[in-house]
Amino acid sequence: MTVSPGHFMLARLDDVARWAQSSSVWPLTMGLACCAIEMMTVTSSEYDIARLGSEVFRSSPRQADLMIVSGRVAQKMGPVVKRLYDQMADPKWVISMGACASSGGIFDNYAIIQGVDTIIPVDVYVPGCPPTPDGLLYAVNLIQQQIRAGGRGGILARA
Amino acid sequence: MTASATPPPEVISRSDTTMVLSMGPQHPSTHGVLQIVLEIDSENVVKADPEIGYLHTGIEKSAEGLFWTQAQTVIERMDYLAPSSNALCYALAVERLLGITDRIPQRAQTIRVLIGELTRIASHCVWLGTHGIDLGAISVFFYCFDLRENILDLSEATGGARMHPNYIRVGGLNGDLPEGLLARLDALIEKFPGRLRELRGLLQANPIFQDRTIDIGVLSPEEAVQWNVTGPSLRASGIAYDVRKAFPYCGYETYDFDVPTRTEGDAYARFLVRLDEMEQSIRLIEQARRRLDTPGPVMIDDPKVALPPKETIALSMEALIHHFKLISEGFRVPPGDVYHSVESPRGELGYYIVSNGENKPYRIRTRPPSLYNLQALKGIAPGNLIADLVVMIGSLDPVFGEVDR
Amino acid sequence: MPSTQVPPIAGAAIDPPSLRPPIDDAVIERVAPSEIRARLEALKADGYAMLLDLGAVDYLGRSPRFDVVYHLLRLAPKPASVAEVSTPTRLRILCGVEEDISLPTVSDLWKSADWAEREIYDLFGIRFDGHPDLRRIQMPNDWVGHPLRKDYPMRGPALERAPRPAFANKTNVVAGSPPSGRTLEALQEQVKRVREGRP
Repeated sequence: MTVSPGHFMLARLDDVARWAQSSSVWPLTMGLACCAIEMMTVTSSEYDIARLGSEVFRSSPRQADLMIVSGRVAQKMGPVVKRLYDQMADPKWVISMGACASSGGIFDNYAIIQGVDTIIPVDVYVPGCPPTPDGLLYAVNLIQQQIRAGGRGGILARA
Repeated sequence: MTASATPPPEVISRSDTTMVLSMGPQHPSTHGVLQIVLEIDSENVVKADPEIGYLHTGIEKSAEGLFWTQAQTVIERMDYLAPSSNALCYALAVERLLGITDRIPQRAQTIRVLIGELTRIASHCVWLGTHGIDLGAISVFFYCFDLRENILDLSEATGGARMHPNYIRVGGLNGDLPEGLLARLDALIEKFPGRLRELRGLLQANPIFQDRTIDIGVLSPEEAVQWNVTGPSLRASGIAYDVRKAFPYCGYETYDFDVPTRTEGDAYARFLVRLDEMEQSIRLIEQARRRLDTPGPVMIDDPKVALPPKETIALSMEALIHHFKLISEGFRVPPGDVYHSVESPRGELGYYIVSNGENKPYRIRTRPPSLYNLQALKGIAPGNLIADLVVMIGSLDPVFGEVDR
Repeated sequence: MPSTQVPPIAGAAIDPPSLRPPIDDAVIERVAPSEIRARLEALKADGYAMLLDLGAVDYLGRSPRFDVVYHLLRLAPKPASVAEVSTPTRLRILCGVEEDISLPTVSDLWKSADWAEREIYDLFGIRFDGHPDLRRIQMPNDWVGHPLRKDYPMRGPALERAPRPAFANKTNVVAGSPPSGRTLEALQEQVKRVREGRP
């Protein structure tokens, strides 16, 4: 962007749009298990995800940009996660929070889907069991970087 | 392997005036992954049928494939709001099977009580915060989670992780409290009464909160016993059953505390009981703190169960061998079965553990308090508004890691 | 210090409840499936108002194969005076059930048995006659198999065949099985196929 003395600012539309998008990523309330408690903690005053732009967590997938899969995905819940992901409008991003969502975690058994990336495309993985809220904040930062670099998330063209 | 049972019930309208609606499994107010198949007549609930299993993790099956100490890691993730209660109940049950209950050092038991009560306060903070958010009182959430942060800091200092510290082990604790922890605990103890007053002041006399919770979800004592409700929800209906008093463990009989009970049985009574419980927990924490001034061991002195101190490995062949055996094979527990329970923040958490003499658990059956508390929803929901349903779920305080395991 | 290890009993014990050490956690009773309903009705009339827990254990290799475990609690009546201290009493009923034998339901005696019996049906396959709505509760409705049985594979039938990452060193892997899931023969077969130009 160049600022000229006077009343005009020049910028590319893409840059402005991406800056706006990255500054207001609204997550979907996809809290499944223990990681969900750390996700709630990241909205509390000590970690405060609202200052990064995620002011509200939307319950309706139609209104959310980011799905934070926080917790272990059970066999019954898999189709539900897929349906919610499909219901989100483009562009959408996914953070796989925690070991269970990323790879099945410590539960290598019949009941847990071994990684949510077997059913939906994931943009950022956060390790930890559960990750500290700082880890989730860093993941949101990485999503913001991806957005600003032009990534449209998931199966669409990635930066 | 047999084919599955009867197909799921047809979800159609059962009469001209009612509609069947699915609330969940993704819903802001169901406190986790719960699906309630509601039959509603305009805004009134005619029938509520909770559907669980959306978080079924196979923890009990996983534990059968891990060593006794490893199984504790998966067990801790059942009730994820109070992970130390799970660890405590499991450790106590296995110690009973091993026959080493009276050889656990006194300091370890005291610290276990301390951690148990800190966990109770932390869990009630999440309950109160989310209950407030469901009802629209969003500031309560921030106050509660701020208090919880202090407790999680202490948990991180003792066990290494904020949640799931895996600090309470079979035989005692993982290690003594780190330096400086007792000073931080003292500072926290000083802060507690003021914080609790704040939390009370936010909601207790709030007319909107009272309107929404008084006379909602009334559970009579007979109903509560029929539905096998335990914990604060049972005590709010008038039955003073607390595992810490009925079947004491960890020396709870030597502490001085009350068990708050109410008789109304509605959501407001459960709210008051939990707040009073937090105050009693503070009393217990103060008493436990005073006993921690004298140093002592925190792990049983039995090399067949507990790892010998790391410093002795280089000096003693026996210590090295015990280390090797315990890490590569784990200890063996004599065959038998035992049922042990503790008072978790949700109610009576029990484990029925069966051992067949091997170094792995044969079966760990959990008595999940949230499963039975949640089942009571089928009894108290009909006849109320959908909004009241949200209040009822919040006041019963289910945790789905425990319900579904 | 006396050792807590006991010498192994020629392999693992087949019937652990009969070998238990003296622990006073509950009064224990073993009841046959034909008498269980009558016994539980009598206990309920006797004051055991709370069915604390209802679970099952699979003792593969023992006859009867399953043990359905009822934990009952008799709440203490209010003490008449301060000096009188009464504690609740716990009772454990073990009911040995063979495969394909069903038990009568107790969900009409204690409402809390509803979901507990559904869970036992779902995870073990033990049916309960008279249950109002006996269907799966934890697993999806079209799941085949009863996961908590001892002969059900830990990773489930689908995953057991899938290759595992090489770094997975879980103790639930049968010792000696290759972590990648591919055996030497399959690899040699694959090499042969490539050399011969087959797909």
